[in-house]
Amino acid sequence: MKKECVAMLLAGGQGSRLKALTRHVAKPAVPFGGKYRIIDFPLSNCVNSGIDTVGVLTQYRPLELNSYIGNGQPWDLDRSDGGVHILPPYLGENEQGSWYKGTANAIFQNINFIDQYDPDYVLILSGDHIYKMDYAAMLDQHKKTGADLTIAVQEVSMEEATRMGIMNCDEEGRVYEFEEKPAKPKSNLASMGIYIFTWAKLRKYLIADEKDPDSSNDFGKNIIPTMLAKKESLHVYRFQGYWRDVGTIDSLWDANMDMLSVEDGVHLFDDDWPIYARTPIQPPHCIGPDAKVSHSLLTGGCQVGGEVENSVLFHSVTVEPGASVRFSILMPGAVVKAGAKVDYSIVAEDAVIEAGAVVGAEPGKDKKDWGIAVVASNVKVGKNASVAPAAMVTKNVKEGGKA
Amino acid sequence: MNNLHGLVFAYRSNKDLRELTQHRNTCSIPFGGRYRLVDFALSSMVNAGVTDIGLIVHSSYQSLLDHVGSGKDWDLSRKHGGLRILPPFGYADALSSDYYGRMDSLAGIRSYLEDIRQDYVILMGGDLAANLPIQEIYEQHLASQADITTVVTCQNVGEPRSSTYLSSTPDGKVTDVFVHPKSPMGCESLEVYLLSKQLLLSLVDHCATHNIHSFSEGVILAMKDRLHIHTYEFGGYVGRFHTVEGYYEHSMDLLDPAVRASLFDPKLPIKTKDQSNPSTYYGPDAQAVDSLIADGCKIEGEVDHCIIFRGVHVEKGARLSHCILMQGTHVGAGATLQYAITDKNVRINPGRMLMGHESYPIAIAKGAQV
Repeated sequence: MKKECVAMLLAGGQGSRLKALTRHVAKPAVPFGGKYRIIDFPLSNCVNSGIDTVGVLTQYRPLELNSYIGNGQPWDLDRSDGGVHILPPYLGENEQGSWYKGTANAIFQNINFIDQYDPDYVLILSGDHIYKMDYAAMLDQHKKTGADLTIAVQEVSMEEATRMGIMNCDEEGRVYEFEEKPAKPKSNLASMGIYIFTWAKLRKYLIADEKDPDSSNDFGKNIIPTMLAKKESLHVYRFQGYWRDVGTIDSLWDANMDMLSVEDGVHLFDDDWPIYARTPIQPPHCIGPDAKVSHSLLTGGCQVGGEVENSVLFHSVTVEPGASVRFSILMPGAVVKAGAKVDYSIVAEDAVIEAGAVVGAEPGKDKKDWGIAVVASNVKVGKNASVAPAAMVTKNVKEGGKA
Repeated sequence: MNNLHGLVFAYRSNKDLRELTQHRNTCSIPFGGRYRLVDFALSSMVNAGVTDIGLIVHSSYQSLLDHVGSGKDWDLSRKHGGLRILPPFGYADALSSDYYGRMDSLAGIRSYLEDIRQDYVILMGGDLAANLPIQEIYEQHLASQADITTVVTCQNVGEPRSSTYLSSTPDGKVTDVFVHPKSPMGCESLEVYLLSKQLLLSLVDHCATHNIHSFSEGVILAMKDRLHIHTYEFGGYVGRFHTVEGYYEHSMDLLDPAVRASLFDPKLPIKTKDQSNPSTYYGPDAQAVDSLIADGCKIEGEVDHCIIFRGVHVEKGARLSHCILMQGTHVGAGATLQYAITDKNVRINPGRMLMGHESYPIAIAKGAQV
């Protein structure tokens, strides 16, 4: 059946800057904010905006992401007409076939999928940002201005602008220039990587771009500059609100800490714009007789006997009596045993911090070597072992050892 | 295992539960921070591989329907089989206020019983908090070649006046039945029965023609010598709910790790309606100890020995001890509550003080403002 707008979510990225956290999962499947994974934000935004047809393009380590999305039920995307579809790269008869070469190529390879719904517009999203956004309002503007492409932008500081894709536009929001990481930015409107295209236009440009052997088949590098050069109508959509990139260990830690200001930031307690997630079945969390919990998020199945301060605990985390966890993120199933101390760290799924171990530290005077310590999933940090700040632990640390 | 059909009796209301059953029947009473009592029966069955379940309802079942929906949270929303809600409208005496007994309700759904595609049926009340190993009960039933297997607990958890007790031989054959005695005698029947579909149908017909309403009196007591009735002794935790005090006690039992381990066995998870709540936030001045707290809460005050359901807000300076706060309760700044049960969406205004006692916890009805 015809759909006015189909969303295509680019979820194939490895997220290599998240290092140990994306060894086994694609970036969009990285746990976030106590209950979620990064991809829950764009998916929930789609559903809350009335978009019920979403293609999720996967490539890197897709297994966990595929089973997480499943039939789309947690997002009400289990539909007989539309719904969520996982779109991996594929081979056709007598075709060479290939991995998705770039963001534009990924959409190109799925032209047939989009055509099934004969949409007027296509919304392109990525799976690496934490934000709440009404795509319907953006689509309204796209229709009103009659643009061929509308790009969501956010104001950033001039310093940040040097690291981002910057849209230079006139007073009415018409883009006349796009600069990738400009040394001297002319504006502070950064692209959020959220695009609405008029499908007929995009379809034409994708086919032309694919024929160009020199193109890297990327929206930012090829499609947008070409459309600008051909004088197509490009508009910015100004977004105001919480929006964070979580592509690095530091930004992921920061954004998780933002969640502790529950009324600000992405405001998870807002009933009008719920963020949905596939949540495992867990009983309520349990607070022991000697526990101390402050300024933290706790989730179902947690057992807390020790001290937890300024931290985000995902489901089924155990903090034994006498252990202390501060300014840290403990992902599902992590265990911190008696007397262990975890500061400024990310402890990934099912990792175990044995009794008396010390992981990470407060930022001291010497900030040069300081950073967030990361213990990768299923890793065991032995009794009385220590993990230095900024360390990235992917192998077991033996009793009394250092990493 | 697909040769077992589930039937859940989800109609019994109990007057001694006062405010708790004002808007709902016993089976949809909230329990354990995020569950409704019916979750235990449904999950125990689903965990044993039961795919088809009939839910027998009679009156005040709107809250129950809201909760179970199409059954998708238990994977019971199926094209073939799955969850079937059985209201009283196939029943001659549909306008009476409730069924007289279980045999009465079964007679009302006789055509449904005929169409059951499995050879065996398990009957269970929807108001029992227990994680029953139904697969094991089924295997024992087949091995013992009993006509009826009935589940008992020797821990005596219900009010004797509302319970049935069984005595049996050392190998488990039922020898005597005591209905509603003054004090416990033998082991307490959980009124969970496993039998073949054929036997169930003939019992339903027999009882209908003899005007017998109760399963424990009309079948177990009356036929204990004619049929081979065998007990299955369940050693895990059982909560039964006959009074507000009993409800309070069983809720507080959950603060014991051994009880939680029995009820919330990770291998046999209790499923419930998903609500997409965020994690629970603890404020900078929160002080919480010895409590069970569900997702989606904001805890900014002091909490000790409490069971807190989803979406509860405890403001700064509020002090709660030995309380049960159901979904959406809001406790204003500086309020003090002891031994209180607040039903769904109760608002306690700032500075209020409510004190119950362990032997008589105060229950505040759904939606009330104090």
